[in-house]
Amino acid sequence: MKSSLLFDIATLSYLVAMVLYISYLAFRNKGLGLIASLVTYFGFGLQTIALFRRWWESYQMDIGRVPLSNLYESLVFFTWSTVLIYLVVEYKYKTRAFGAFVLPVAFLALAFINVAGISPDITPLVPALKSNWLFYHVLVSFLGYAAFGVAFAISLLYLLEDTKEQGPVLNLLSAMGAIVVLASIGYYLASLGAGMKTAFWLGLGVLVLAWFIYLIVAGAKNKSQVYLFWSFCITLAIVLLLAMGMDFVYLVSFQRLAEGESLKKHLFETTFLNPSMPVVFITWAAVLALFWLVWSQGLRLKNLMKPYLPVQDQLDDVTYRMIAIGWPLLTGGIITGAVWANSAWGTYWSWDPKETWSLITWFIYAIYLHARYVRGWKGTQMAVISAVGFLAVIFTYLGVNLVLSGLHSYGGMN
Amino acid sequence: MREVALENKQGIVELIADKVWKFFSSVKLAVVLLIILAIVSIIGTVIQQNEAPERYLQEYSQATVNLFEMIGLFDMYHTWWFVLLLFLLTANLTVCTLDRFPHTWKIISAPLKPIEDEALKALPFKKEITVTGGMDKAEARAAKTLATHRYRFAESRGAGTVQLITQKGLYSRFGVYVTHVSILLIFTGALIGVFFGFKAFLNLPEGTAQKVVYLRNEPLWDKILSSLGVIESRVQWSPEAGVPYLPLDFAVQCDDFDVDYYVNAAGMPTGMPSEYHSTLSVLDLNGQKILEKRIRVNDPLTFHGITFYQSSYGTMPDVRGKAVLKIRKKNAAGQGETVVIELGKSVHVPSIDRTIKVLGFAPYGMRNPETGKVVLYRTDNDEYINPAVQLEISKGNKPVYKTEILKRDPGAPPLPEDYSISLERYGGTRYTGLQVSKDPGVWVVYTGFVLLCIGPLIAFFGSHKKLWVRIQEHKGRTVILVAGSVNKNRLGFEREFNRIVDEIAK
Repeated sequence: MKSSLLFDIATLSYLVAMVLYISYLAFRNKGLGLIASLVTYFGFGLQTIALFRRWWESYQMDIGRVPLSNLYESLVFFTWSTVLIYLVVEYKYKTRAFGAFVLPVAFLALAFINVAGISPDITPLVPALKSNWLFYHVLVSFLGYAAFGVAFAISLLYLLEDTKEQGPVLNLLSAMGAIVVLASIGYYLASLGAGMKTAFWLGLGVLVLAWFIYLIVAGAKNKSQVYLFWSFCITLAIVLLLAMGMDFVYLVSFQRLAEGESLKKHLFETTFLNPSMPVVFITWAAVLALFWLVWSQGLRLKNLMKPYLPVQDQLDDVTYRMIAIGWPLLTGGIITGAVWANSAWGTYWSWDPKETWSLITWFIYAIYLHARYVRGWKGTQMAVISAVGFLAVIFTYLGVNLVLSGLHSYGGMN
Repeated sequence: MREVALENKQGIVELIADKVWKFFSSVKLAVVLLIILAIVSIIGTVIQQNEAPERYLQEYSQATVNLFEMIGLFDMYHTWWFVLLLFLLTANLTVCTLDRFPHTWKIISAPLKPIEDEALKALPFKKEITVTGGMDKAEARAAKTLATHRYRFAESRGAGTVQLITQKGLYSRFGVYVTHVSILLIFTGALIGVFFGFKAFLNLPEGTAQKVVYLRNEPLWDKILSSLGVIESRVQWSPEAGVPYLPLDFAVQCDDFDVDYYVNAAGMPTGMPSEYHSTLSVLDLNGQKILEKRIRVNDPLTFHGITFYQSSYGTMPDVRGKAVLKIRKKNAAGQGETVVIELGKSVHVPSIDRTIKVLGFAPYGMRNPETGKVVLYRTDNDEYINPAVQLEISKGNKPVYKTEILKRDPGAPPLPEDYSISLERYGGTRYTGLQVSKDPGVWVVYTGFVLLCIGPLIAFFGSHKKLWVRIQEHKGRTVILVAGSVNKNRLGFEREFNRIVDEIAK
């Protein structure tokens, strides 16, 4: 059996396991939980075999390399590590409640492979990648990302549990208003030229950061804002995935792309960047509707699952442990990358976007650790930092390659 | 943490020094600096750094370019304000470490004392149990339990009371210092590199040697000293090169350069390089060869602290190439004859008594497997993927036939006459692109890296635990009090604590 088929079956198993874990919480049925775990073990086993199988296949093709060297392989490995860490947590803490939140992270990463049209071909390595450091660098970095991914999922669960009431509808309405105003300004400025577009993204970045900092500082007192943040994270994940999925379906399946053209250049062309105004309006209306749906139904979801959810103290503790594992791994990832760069180019640090973003991520988790150790922070604020940290991880991992340019082009989509 | 009494007689200097010290020793400053660094770092990833000025004008208006230039946003990570932020963080780390270490040292060096009732109240973990069987048995059980949990304890005896006192994981209190010192080491190493090292490049045509390298970053120390007039800078400037260059005390020669390509199923090169390598020789200034090494990407050559990295390659413009051909008579012994012919010139080959003229050259030739015809292509950057030459073979002055010879040509038909011609290489016109760097600080940085890997592990996964077991006779019964404290990982310690209590109570 070819490795790609095994990977597909594993993906399917994770989807089934995800549904099972959620129904285990929703229907409070222990049997479902057990089956969910078994399906996850099955998927994980298959994926492990597939990883080694792919390694072997590369030797059959006379390319002979570790299956950790392009975007497809790194996404697969990220999922594999996430599920591995999750299974360890499930075993150690004797609870299956996290599954409903961690498995979606794993499944979304695999789904991203398909919707973004990432090629699963085993491609030969360019000379710069031919180094033993490749293996250590990718291995350590992605184990770290996976630990942060698990921390993120558990933090979101914490924030959901933390919310006692939604807060006034005005909160939601003002957030929607902000999205509408900012989006309009964005489209207007982008039409004026590239310089204005950069200025807009910088401005938007500052606003979002200001919001994050406000949540971290005042989040414990203003929990309805934190709930809004929770809804925002969930909506963002769904919207990005759906939008990319639509690009893929329209551009690839209907073959609208010229020969050899990469999907990257046409990102969001079927939705946010469509030339037709009505389509753009419908897209934004759909985003707002989804935001409203998540916001209004989130608490109902929580109340449904409540009896099976672990206590908040435990969630806080597991999040900390995941970050205490992830941060040294991320450190190791940055260091192996630096040593490798020095042996290839004679510079261990060149401030290229990928390096810089990994450092930004490192700073965010460093802040988390200092806040906990020195200032003794716990709870809501820490969960917010952990969630923001993972958004930075995602940007370091995917955003830099999709949006910015630099040395790490090997991880890119074309 | 630091005990400074603000007395009235303290002078204004001490007062300010104290304020500055307090400012730099706060963790709040560290967090604020990390946030600011994170935010400004983003700017440099959104605006492309160190591009040519024309590129910026394509994207931004003249006014924006001027503004960005003034703030230094096009080379943000080297502006004075960004470097200042890094220095503030360093100062903060240093002061924090110096400020807290004495306190930690006190905790580490403090001897364990028997617990008093008063101090007991403050301990987070305590449990009292009453057991039967007398004090001796209880003590033996407690001693055994502590030993199985790998605690080495001291005993303290009073009237009708015994205490077992123990602690574990003292080393974990050093973890944070190891981590912080490692970051200071990395900063120090980076500074050493900036002051005493340099970054340069060298495009070296095959077969030539150079005694200088062209600088990207001058050694800062050299620049400072020479601008003060202390020494004369070694850095020179030549108008034709347009960049400053640094003379070396040896010469580097590129003996050979070659690119390997991945081949497809038909055995033809795909144009995707699998490896490129240069054979470099280091010569002393008299031209004597000192050493030779074949370098490739990820495997550089180091001599006298200066490292040469394989980084790129290209074709020298305006230089005529030479074809190296090997001619071998059929059924003849030996290696055959090798001739070098310049493009457009002809050479007489005695072993076959023919004159060969190189009519043309293409960097990429391919033979159509069906028709047998050779198609010649141009390539990006004139890359030699599968060099091909067009030859005219003559006897005396009379042309006999024309043919194309490809470097790699699995389907080549035999030549009309009884010898074979193969293209060894087409050369003399390529250069190897070398990155050159000297960084005496790199080992300091690497030491920092190693410590940075170890420090967090000690800090996160070790914890300093203390335990007291007090055994007392009280109204004919034996009362055991177990108390403990831990500086980290309370949940884990709580589990261990409860197990220990259970085992002693058994």
